Amino acid sequence: MTDPRLSRPSRPWAARGLHPAVHELAAALRAGAISRRTFIAAASRLGVAAPVAAAIAGVWRRAAAAEPAVPPPSPAAGGTLRCSMNVKEVSDPAIFDWSEKANVVRHMVEPLVRIDAANIARPWLAERWQASDDLKTWTFFLRRDVVWSNGDAFVAEDVAFNVRRWLDPQTGSSNLSRFAALTTSVATGKTTADGKPVTSTSLAAGAIEIIDDHTVRFHLTRPDVSLPESFADYPALIVHRRFSEEGGDLTKNPVGTGPFRLAEFVVGEKAVLVRRQDRPWWGGSPRLDRIVYLDHGDDAGAQLAALASGQVDCNFRSSIEQIDTISRIPGLKLYQTTTASCGVARMRVTEKPFDALAVRRAIQAAIDHDEAQRLVFRGYGAPGEDHHVAPLHPEYAPLPKRRRDLERARQQLSDAGYRNGIRLVIDCVASPPWEANVCKVFAEMLKPAGIELAINVLPGATYWDRWQSTPFGFTAWAHRPLGIQVLNLAYRSNAGWNETGYANPAFDALLDEASGIIDPGKRRPVMDKLQRTLQDDAIIVQSTWRPTFMAAHERVHGLVMHPAEEHHFEGVWLAAS
Amino acid sequence: MALYALRRLLGMILVMLTVSLLVFALVEATPGTVAMRVLGPYASEEQRQLWLAANGYLEPAWSRYLHWLGRFATGDFGASIRYRAPVADVLWPRLGNTAVLALWTLVVLVPVSLVLGVLAGVREGSPLDRLLSTAAIITTSIPEFASAVLLSAIFVFKLQLLPGTSAMTDGFDWRQLVLPVAVLVLYDVGYVARMTRISVAEVIAAPYVRAARLRGLSWPRVIIFHALRNALITPITVLAVQVNWLLSGVIVVEVFFAYKGFGSLLWEAALNQDIFVIQACAMVAVVVTVATQVAADLAHAALDPRLRAPAPADR
Repeated sequence: MTDPRLSRPSRPWAARGLHPAVHELAAALRAGAISRRTFIAAASRLGVAAPVAAAIAGVWRRAAAAEPAVPPPSPAAGGTLRCSMNVKEVSDPAIFDWSEKANVVRHMVEPLVRIDAANIARPWLAERWQASDDLKTWTFFLRRDVVWSNGDAFVAEDVAFNVRRWLDPQTGSSNLSRFAALTTSVATGKTTADGKPVTSTSLAAGAIEIIDDHTVRFHLTRPDVSLPESFADYPALIVHRRFSEEGGDLTKNPVGTGPFRLAEFVVGEKAVLVRRQDRPWWGGSPRLDRIVYLDHGDDAGAQLAALASGQVDCNFRSSIEQIDTISRIPGLKLYQTTTASCGVARMRVTEKPFDALAVRRAIQAAIDHDEAQRLVFRGYGAPGEDHHVAPLHPEYAPLPKRRRDLERARQQLSDAGYRNGIRLVIDCVASPPWEANVCKVFAEMLKPAGIELAINVLPGATYWDRWQSTPFGFTAWAHRPLGIQVLNLAYRSNAGWNETGYANPAFDALLDEASGIIDPGKRRPVMDKLQRTLQDDAIIVQSTWRPTFMAAHERVHGLVMHPAEEHHFEGVWLAAS
Repeated sequence: MALYALRRLLGMILVMLTVSLLVFALVEATPGTVAMRVLGPYASEEQRQLWLAANGYLEPAWSRYLHWLGRFATGDFGASIRYRAPVADVLWPRLGNTAVLALWTLVVLVPVSLVLGVLAGVREGSPLDRLLSTAAIITTSIPEFASAVLLSAIFVFKLQLLPGTSAMTDGFDWRQLVLPVAVLVLYDVGYVARMTRISVAEVIAAPYVRAARLRGLSWPRVIIFHALRNALITPITVLAVQVNWLLSGVIVVEVFFAYKGFGSLLWEAALNQDIFVIQACAMVAVVVTVATQVAADLAHAALDPRLRAPAPADR
């Protein structure tokens, strides 16, 4: 069956209702100012369906091949795909905090927008979207052929219910930060122990407008260029409008729009998804009969042992330490991709000694990013530049390469009053091991500059208790499709996930400006300033863009490794063994 | 005997109360942690405070302790944060799985170690004794994590004979039990065999055994009917302690083979700060430890009349 998203008649790119910036983007593409990939990503954010954007760019076929939504010719139907992955608690997508959770239920409940393996936003439950010129009003047009597994039609109220719920602080959803442009903060009249006023953040009045059953409009309090990407993130899976009334638990009441239904779920053990039988899925017919996730605990070796002995067909993630072993096991295939996920050694600027800019600069100056990349990831991935915007991001501005400068590091340390050196402690998690490995490499690099770095390796849960408050910590950040998203989440003053305590009004103003520019080419000069500001203020050492790996048996086909480790198994099929 | 048992039971309750206080104090000291676990690392402070208030975490600690103890005594261990289900629903099946693993380990361990121990003990100093003693020292000195890797490398990766993990997600599968049981038996068999050997050797050298032999009884008869009853007192006590080890000390093996037992439950609960599960696991582990200790003492007393005799009168 042909994927209806691709068989939809292509609208001419100059058709009515197209965002004016698309014309400029097309001109920039023709002039060679931006890449085809950048064009497709930017145009799809403006509401142009990705295939249409690709057609405009003249690379329709290539884009469609980037992630085959339709299985390759003559694939086998049926079978069970078994994947080794932690099976975590998945009752409520709104409060998901791990991609593993979303991987289980994404085959049952779906997002409005999907980021594909090429890092491009594609229409999913929303067939297209449109932004106003000021990027403060966004209209999402929903697919009309989507039916919930309980027989209800998928309508605008479903979307409105979800957004209202995400942005209610009682829900506890991280979407409250992600969709900050839809919220307002009001003073509660209370103060914290240290005398700061306590504010309450929730959905702004009139932010959601239901135009009709299949059209919903969002009125933002400030421009947000990444709204479609926010709708693609893992806690933004859309549940049924009566989700809360009907118990608020997907495992007990598995109602969804997707191609599979959660048939069995035991947290910590397994999740079984069975192909939907009630009616055909709007996206066509998946080949697999069942998807089974099996939990082999937190020991990476157990996952590999399960793969080697054929107990599973693929795994969620393999570590860099395992890739040699995988390549030696007959019948196994290694998948690899470079992501915009990374680890950030971030310094809390409100805590001693990191309140001194010279100390932070000394630390940065002593690090050799290329060498760190080589030592930790054996050359896979890419070196970082201390500003948390990845070369993979469409708006990335190339800056002069950062070089290790021990002389400067010692001088900065001396300027800060630490002539005899300084002893520091960095917190990091025990697993995955690469995070502590980066810290070890840093410790060695810092030594010649007179900085003794002790590494405090903690269990994940303990680290996440203090990730925002520890003076010096190594935090892993997930892949996000746009650089601007990360900067808004992590470095804007008082942002929900601002772990450095960084507060720079000039930076915030630049961030506002960048967030209002849809064209990555035009956004790039502003990004240049943002990236330089972050480098100059030296609040993070960000050395590596992480490669990710997974392994699967050769009998598994149609598997594409996603930069955010999302599973899109509706296109996967198994060869007869 | 009844008084002896009662005294041991009262002591057991006292130990448990003390441990419950310690467990509660250790785990509940930081209420922020609970909200963080439930809402995830990225929730805002406002969201966390709302959750803490809604779930009674702002009550004073002593009041929460009494509530918890009261509920605990009636079998209500609270709800797991990670599993979003009553702890009892998670704990009992996991404990059952570990009991299965422990049972099969004992089924192999007891006959093998006793037979080897007796064989070595009756001919102390013989080549067989030396061979068994050396082998026992070697296997006992290899920790479980090392032998698990070794056995996996051979039987899973090299020979591809056995499944690499033992999650048993599709029901009981004896093949998945082979490696975990093998690792546990390998680690423990040497210790129990050596304890048996010492005990047997000691009894064999006793005058009453020589007397029985001098009366013309055959060796097998002397060993089976005269020596073993006394010689087995020590191994039985040792085995009772192994039950405790098999229930709460097998974390390494369960985690390595992804076996869904009590040990891996405790390990995951600790990693995820699943407070009520940690509390329940700790209490269960204490019950098991103290109960097996009491059972061992009682068995010992039953086998050895000297232990349950009233204290001798003044002479």
